[in-house]
Amino acid sequence: MVPDGSGLFWGGFGFQRPPIAFASELIRQKKRNLTIYTCGSEVDLEILVGAGVVPRLEIAFVAIEALGLANNTRRRVAEGKVEIEDYSNLAMAMRFLGGALNVPFMPLRSLMGTDMVAKSRYRGDKKLKVIDCPFTGEKICLVPSIQPDFSIVHAQRVDMSGNAQIDGIVGEDLEGSRCGKKLIILTEELVDEEEIRFAPEQTKIPSMYVDHVVLVPFAAHPMMCHGYYDYDLEFLQMFHKITRKEETWQEYLDTYILGVENHEAYLDKIGWSRLNKLRAIKPRGY
Amino acid sequence: MVEYSNIEFLAACASRHVRNGENVFGGTGLPLLAALLAKETHARNINLISEAGFIDARPREVPLSVADSRYYLGCSASIGLIETLGFILQAGHIDVGFLGAAQIDEYGNLNTTYIGPYEAPKVRLPGSGGGNDIASSAKRLIIIMTHDKRKFVKQLDHLTSPGHLEGPGSREKWSLVGRGPEVVITDMCQMDFDPRTLKIRLMSVHPGYTVQDVLDNVMFDLIIPDDVPTTDEPTQEQIDVMHRLDPHSIYLGKGGS
Repeated sequence: MVPDGSGLFWGGFGFQRPPIAFASELIRQKKRNLTIYTCGSEVDLEILVGAGVVPRLEIAFVAIEALGLANNTRRRVAEGKVEIEDYSNLAMAMRFLGGALNVPFMPLRSLMGTDMVAKSRYRGDKKLKVIDCPFTGEKICLVPSIQPDFSIVHAQRVDMSGNAQIDGIVGEDLEGSRCGKKLIILTEELVDEEEIRFAPEQTKIPSMYVDHVVLVPFAAHPMMCHGYYDYDLEFLQMFHKITRKEETWQEYLDTYILGVENHEAYLDKIGWSRLNKLRAIKPRGY
Repeated sequence: MVEYSNIEFLAACASRHVRNGENVFGGTGLPLLAALLAKETHARNINLISEAGFIDARPREVPLSVADSRYYLGCSASIGLIETLGFILQAGHIDVGFLGAAQIDEYGNLNTTYIGPYEAPKVRLPGSGGGNDIASSAKRLIIIMTHDKRKFVKQLDHLTSPGHLEGPGSREKWSLVGRGPEVVITDMCQMDFDPRTLKIRLMSVHPGYTVQDVLDNVMFDLIIPDDVPTTDEPTQEQIDVMHRLDPHSIYLGKGGS
């Protein structure tokens, strides 16, 4: 469904609700030349960049946070195979908000005075502008809004008409889900409409925005999904270690992504006893 | 005699800069450990905020991500990024932000994006994340780094987050909301900024190190005042609390943030 060359808003934030199953499927389908727009992503960006699916990113952050640098991305950037247009988290969130509001740019008070203004990879003078505010005369930074081809967002539960509920934090997914031309929701669980209508304040994405829903349990493994499962720390540490070298990354790619037919086969490979141990304990959410 | 590692010393030292009642951006890593330590000891009423959307958080163990559900249990509001970085931070409500960096220059400007030339980077680092936003708009900035000569440079490879930029008047020129960095804390010393030039100045040296050790490990002209005291050591309570917060030594066992 996603043609080569598409631009994607990529949902989730840090360790929370990253659409990793979707990233793996893009790799299996041998997609090429995708551009990713997000604040910060981790394992998902690492596999997309490592597998050569994504040569361009407009992001604020890529690393495995507490565990360390994004090794695949570091290697691909050094090889000159990947270009990153750098923004801050607020700048990216404002670009999504602008896209969702259908206005061409948004102002913010970050970035000014730094190399994020002075330097650009491929957007050139379309990256951002610092202007004198026409009303107050103060310096203000303008960032271009984004309306990508697709928004990919992972939600805890969705009903048959597409109402999507997100628990815990939303990160930048409210703006991100509304800025794309098509919205694809990955969900842990399909629920009856009555469950949605029983707690409508949890519906962060009403069905009117939603184009497609995919039921994908454990879509974020080895990361977390609030209220459903914790991150798999041991697997994550293994992942971070194997990405240090191209050979061991290629082995991982062959074993856990290309070597399985689909996400279900991936989960079987990880093993259900292991996955069951990650299930969240109420009410703590992990 | 309290026994401590360099990392424990660094976290304990940083935590003393947090004042009770402040709105604090914690992040992850050592900065978060320092903020949590402050909350468990002398600053119980800080409002700990994570940029992913958690407000007034009280995590029982250290989160590994700003979006970790460990931030959730016991927080008073769980919202999103426009709330924290926009409504709270950019509107001027954050008293103190913590940041680390791979490189810092004499004005406290930070690099967390590239080592090597921009055109052909040798190492891609994480990037700004919320760092630039925090450095632009938090009222005070506390910078935490492990001390290494290659990190204290005359010229940054990339300026990701604003310190005092080119010195007096430059933050005002860009109408930045916050006042910029206040202290830089390493495992060797504490530094602040000379109010006249806004350049880094030595503040205190940790036990076991000398002023010369510090001078040997910076690549710019560090301002040395006449009187350089020795930094206070951590208390046993601080060490115990840190280990309770980080039972698996994920942060305490590491060399950097």
